[in-house]
Amino acid sequence: MDFLSITKLIASLSLIFSISLILYQWISLLKKPKVTDYSLPKGSSLNGIIYAFTLGMAPWTKESTRKHWILYFRGILFHMGIFSALFIFIVKILWNYIPDLLLPLALLSGIGALMGLVGILLRIAERNLREISNFDDHISLWLVSIFLSLVTISSISPSFTPYMFIFTSIMLLYVPFSKIRHFLYFFFSRIFFGLHIGKRGILKKLEVIHGK
Amino acid sequence: MENNGVESALNVFEKQLNKPLITALEACARCGICAESCHYYVSEPSLKHVPASRAEQLRKIYRKKYNLLGKLFPKIFGAKELDEKTLEELSEIAFSECTLCRRCTFNCPLGVDTPLIMKTLRAMAVAGGKAPEMLVMLADSAIEKGKNPEFFKELFLQQIKELEKELQKIVGDPEAKIPVGKKGARVLYVALAGAHTIIPPAIIFHAVREDWTLSLYEAANYGVFLGDTERAKLIAKRIIDEAKELGVQEVVIAECGHACAALVWEAPNWFKEKFPFRMRNIVELIAEYVEKGLLKFDKSKNSEPITYHDSCNLARTSGIFREPRIVLNAVAENFIEMKPHGIENYCCGGGGGLVALPEYEEKRLKAGKPKAEQIRKTGAKIVCAACENCRLQINDLNSHYNLNVKVVSLAELVVNAIVLESKKKVKEEKTEERVSLR
Repeated sequence: MDFLSITKLIASLSLIFSISLILYQWISLLKKPKVTDYSLPKGSSLNGIIYAFTLGMAPWTKESTRKHWILYFRGILFHMGIFSALFIFIVKILWNYIPDLLLPLALLSGIGALMGLVGILLRIAERNLREISNFDDHISLWLVSIFLSLVTISSISPSFTPYMFIFTSIMLLYVPFSKIRHFLYFFFSRIFFGLHIGKRGILKKLEVIHGK
Repeated sequence: MENNGVESALNVFEKQLNKPLITALEACARCGICAESCHYYVSEPSLKHVPASRAEQLRKIYRKKYNLLGKLFPKIFGAKELDEKTLEELSEIAFSECTLCRRCTFNCPLGVDTPLIMKTLRAMAVAGGKAPEMLVMLADSAIEKGKNPEFFKELFLQQIKELEKELQKIVGDPEAKIPVGKKGARVLYVALAGAHTIIPPAIIFHAVREDWTLSLYEAANYGVFLGDTERAKLIAKRIIDEAKELGVQEVVIAECGHACAALVWEAPNWFKEKFPFRMRNIVELIAEYVEKGLLKFDKSKNSEPITYHDSCNLARTSGIFREPRIVLNAVAENFIEMKPHGIENYCCGGGGGLVALPEYEEKRLKAGKPKAEQIRKTGAKIVCAACENCRLQINDLNSHYNLNVKVVSLAELVVNAIVLESKKKVKEEKTEERVSLR
């Protein structure tokens, strides 16, 4: 077994470990008693959920993101980078290389890495962020940013691939216990928010009055 | 004894850990973008007023109990054991530094329900014996009233008779009534303490010839402020039972934000029941009257510039922000919107039961600064608010920040502009078919 194959095996096992634990957490949450809402609806819950995952994510729909749209886009690019990098990582595990067609994703991953670096600097420099951040916030950001960088580098220079696999393994082992797993709860959070604005008639025909 | 308080608080926490609460505790990325959405932070930009930081105090307890890294390395991973002192601090945060206004949730890219975390903290504080005594006392006295309605019923009926005379004088009809305990009435109206929430709606009901009856009980529910479902349920039960007994089609709640949110959205879940009647706020009913053309107005009676304050419990919690505008545009000549308004409106600072807690007056007035500035910028002479707590707070802000405004309810503005039909005409029309609002 060569170095690449060994690291690939470690990365694959880490991925399985991480997915298993995340799935376990997902199932544990789903197993919690169902909260039935007996109140009479004033609007559509489904419309609320659709809105929460679509237009409701647009920067102009919230005062906070209208005011801080640069920061919001930093976050969006960072997360797009993560999804791209994960895709490339899985492709590399399956086929050892990435086709040219996926190179734009590697670029996106690189942009994500830069956005991660900005995030790290912000957590250090901005007073509120520094104060509310714990060790997990910092370490998670570092791990993900380095992962994004290594995926980008290994896409340009395949000789880096084993190192990318080793580092990604470390990150994947950390994911189920860390703040990184907030992606799992993001979906639930948006669903609950969507249910609220939908059922209570805050949303009508996928539009809300924003008070502008 | 001390440990029992902490233990009780932790038991409550464990019981409340359902899907929405776990989600709220886990989803936050601590990006801090929620800071400026909080009126406390806007009036005093410090870390303790960042919603994420406030919620972090319970997250620490959660991590210590439920997160592997939090259990193993609590200091590094921001986990903390709950003790007596921490419980006291958490109680202070929950009751005095968050009005449960939901503005942070609406501004969070993830939609983290920080008010739910704060409500849990309140419930934990109640269980641990750390909740403000005043709120506990108010909740318990309402429960007692429900247990022995006969004690106060006679006095209440006497008072209503006096109000009825006043109503008859205002509407010019000696037959105008404020019915109480009328079986089969279409609407059960649940007022607040004080004639100001009975007379104006009674005039409106009289004008549209509504088939209504007044509840024996007040809509206010201090159990909700405590985050104590058991108390809140007992307080709501009085009204639910009364509505069932009278066989009404609708329970209409006075201009009160938290009472509306509690009865319309929470009570059905406390009782795990779909009630055989509809529940809504009087603002929604008045808007319906206006839209159906059942009321006539002389807008010139409300000619001064008027602005409207959206109660958080009505707008962000109950979706009532279009209805008051339908009414205001019909009754006022010069209606000016605050910036921002609707679901983006700032909390007045009096929500979450804060107006009932004299010990937090200073904090409350400070937190109301963004609202005071919003009002001042409109140049309005009258501030209308469809929530009693908001009106009390805005009245206090009025004095504290020298706003020089008059604070009124929506029903008061409606009554001010209403054109009442002559007594003769009303009598003639009484023989006609009743207005159907179903």
